[in-house]
Amino acid sequence: MPDIGGSSLFVLEFGDILHYYTPYTLTLFVLALIFTGLAILSRPEGQVDIAFGGDAYYAKETAVAEMRFRRFMTIACGLATMGAMGSGDIFNFTLFASLVGITNVGIVAAVKSRHVLDAAYEYGIVAMVATLPLFGGAALILATTGTLSIPALAAGASAVPPVGKALLALGVIGEGMAPFYAAKAEMFRAPGAPYVIMCSLSSLLIFLRVVEIAITI
Amino acid sequence: MIPDYSIGLLVAFAAAGVAFFALMRETDGLHRLLLTDLVEVVTLAFIALVGTDLAEALILPGLVVGVSELIALSEIYRVKEGYVRPPAAGLQIEVMESAPGILAAILVVYGIVLSGFSGGAVAGLGVLFYFLCRDHHERFELIETASGYSWVLWIVAFFVFMLLPQYWFFAVMLAGSAILVKVMAKMSLIGTMRGGPNA
Repeated sequence: MPDIGGSSLFVLEFGDILHYYTPYTLTLFVLALIFTGLAILSRPEGQVDIAFGGDAYYAKETAVAEMRFRRFMTIACGLATMGAMGSGDIFNFTLFASLVGITNVGIVAAVKSRHVLDAAYEYGIVAMVATLPLFGGAALILATTGTLSIPALAAGASAVPPVGKALLALGVIGEGMAPFYAAKAEMFRAPGAPYVIMCSLSSLLIFLRVVEIAITI
Repeated sequence: MIPDYSIGLLVAFAAAGVAFFALMRETDGLHRLLLTDLVEVVTLAFIALVGTDLAEALILPGLVVGVSELIALSEIYRVKEGYVRPPAAGLQIEVMESAPGILAAILVVYGIVLSGFSGGAVAGLGVLFYFLCRDHHERFELIETASGYSWVLWIVAFFVFMLLPQYWFFAVMLAGSAILVKVMAKMSLIGTMRGGPNA
């Protein structure tokens, strides 16, 4: 078993479903925790657009109701990310990953701007379609090995098919778009800086975590 | 002899291929949203193919994720296309004037007899039909509060199972009735979804 995350620091068992932290996943967890705290405390940016070719500029207002909704979605996204970091069960991980996908859309959905909503809609369709490889990969792993527990799979009772791992990674990429941020670029034009950054941070974190899972099992 | 699982997997992959091809060809936003539902069904088929109790338990969260994404995306689509037209008055059908009371009563009583998740679905269908046919200026906070508290009772029942297994019968009864109320309350809200001041 290639032990890329280091030895387990903490294990919380609920029957055969468990949560565990290694130095690697603990680092990612703390990162998500710190950023969620920052998103709770900080005030949204006041975005300013400069009119090209002149001195004029216009400032975009972020209404309080919109800000509240987006902050709530950011906190939910942070919690889902933290859950994905600690989960020791592949199906729970896929559920957390798809929750990250939904909340990423939710973070920008309150913005009343046509191009941002268009981008969020397209990205939402990708996130929705990505549940096929995500859950399909988990189901394939369950069908071939008979378990979803990451430590049990890592112990190597039966080999995990590479197709299952590949589908899982593909699904996480679709949910979070982690290595291909260009696909989300239009979404990042939404005003409200600390909230939109959570989109990229959460997708980066779940991608790093699925890499760890794919190597470990 | 090819095992059944492989045949099922082949069929599911073929269906996924068809769905992705259709998504690639389609350009209309609303139609693409509907086509993603095709992909969701194949996802559930992938899980169902495993064919164990665990797979049955995993289908429900998979379904919930799919439905919540569908609702979120349709809301975004509605806002971005600017659809704000209030819905027209309900259907004018004679049965919807006379039947709802008695039908709802029969379904709710039968649902309470069944209890649990399926009972909640049956009773919820009755209440849904009632709200659909009659006026629905009800106190929604009350329904939501009842749903929330019954969810908490459901979780309490699970803790009883884990921590005090000797009281399993009490926990079964608690979980059965709490999930009945919760599913019923949630489903009945669907009957009120037709615009208006409460929507």
